[in-house]
Amino acid sequence: MTSTRDDSPQLNEPDFRRKLLAGGSAALAMTMISGRAASAAGLSSDELDLLKFAQRIELSLHDLYDEALQVDKGSAAWTIMADSHESFAQAIAGFAGLSANERNEDVFQSYRAAMRGADRAMTAYELESIAAATHIELLGKLSDAGSAEVIASIASVESRHCVVLADVLGSGSDVAMTLTNSAQPIEA
Amino acid sequence: MTTPTSPKSNDFDRRTLIRRGGLTLGLGAFLSACAADFGGDTAPGRVGLAQSETELPEGVVNDVVFLRTMQSLEHSLVELLSALVASSHFSTAQQTYIERFVSDHVAASDVLGEHIVAAGGQPYACENEWVRNRFVNPVIAAVDSSDDSRRDARNAAHAFETMLAHSYQYLVGLAETPAHRQGLMTLGAAASRRSALLATQISSGKYGYFGPGISAGAAETTDDGFPIGYAVPATFGQVGQILLVAGDVDDEGARYSTLLQTPAENTFVYEYMSC
Repeated sequence: MTSTRDDSPQLNEPDFRRKLLAGGSAALAMTMISGRAASAAGLSSDELDLLKFAQRIELSLHDLYDEALQVDKGSAAWTIMADSHESFAQAIAGFAGLSANERNEDVFQSYRAAMRGADRAMTAYELESIAAATHIELLGKLSDAGSAEVIASIASVESRHCVVLADVLGSGSDVAMTLTNSAQPIEA
Repeated sequence: MTTPTSPKSNDFDRRTLIRRGGLTLGLGAFLSACAADFGGDTAPGRVGLAQSETELPEGVVNDVVFLRTMQSLEHSLVELLSALVASSHFSTAQQTYIERFVSDHVAASDVLGEHIVAAGGQPYACENEWVRNRFVNPVIAAVDSSDDSRRDARNAAHAFETMLAHSYQYLVGLAETPAHRQGLMTLGAAASRRSALLATQISSGKYGYFGPGISAGAAETTDDGFPIGYAVPATFGQVGQILLVAGDVDDEGARYSTLLQTPAENTFVYEYMSC
């Protein structure tokens, strides 16, 4: 015989409180394990992963410009570029509640030597092109309009950085370099 | 001697008038409420033969409207740049870029048209009438009558390309569908590049690449009061209005100026509009 509603055990107040406590502890533990603060913007975990991916690329570019600064000490252009990419990472952090503390190691290691080499301006141009292409690609995956706004504002400026770097390279009249972005995005 | 007085009416004094008037109004209201509805026009009467006003269709704002609006703005750029080229306001070297820009705008319109069709809308492959009347026509007139039409044509091209870049970025935040956001920003990035290229050519030699939003010492205007376009005006992409100054000085020593803006309800190309 199945129990009726009246016969089933009732959730009394101490039990309810214990379950709330247990739930809260589990949520806290999950937050600590994942190393991710709760999103102020109420974003899904997929959305946060995509934003974290974008943020890590920005931190890689910041660190790579720092590498160029080791060669061109005090360069105003490299300083501005490095600071800009740090600002991009911070903007994502501020929007999504993601700590800006982890770069994309693959990107960093792949370009580190080149950013210290003679063709560092060309490498910077390539990196900006890749970053812009990657962010535009991300826009097709991000579901939140606020996330899209942040990423769009970054992609816009990185496109402008490309033109500046092309001009620095003496290719300011080369419309293939200044007006088109032929770089392939990094897959998220 | 006594003054003759007019005879008083005993049955129609002020009190009686109020009482009978109230009674009549109350009875009228009661009979009206009980009366049958025989139909007929209840609108206020009209005087004269003027036609009645036409109701505007309800404009729904959605992704198709955003895409159609940007398509119209691409054509506005085509019209502006083509007019400035036709009037020989650009140097031969500049004209090479501008002609490339025009072909880029036509291509962008085609891409937007594909997005619009895919979203179930009708493409709008013609210029934005509101932008034409408010911005394109006055700017062309100002450049045509300028004391330095090459300066003004370059500045106008830069300002409009910047407006286009701002508009794409702005609409990314409004669009619902991620694929549309991506499509908008792909074209927005291209507009940013054109804007940066023109800024580099116009002002980087004297003022540098980075604007006041990044470089604290960067000037905002030239000594003559023209806004300086920078390749990178600020750390983040901007969506604000763009000041454009053009034309010869008038009797009061001022030039034509306008503020180009991102699209809003009055600029949108709604789905009921056609060209």
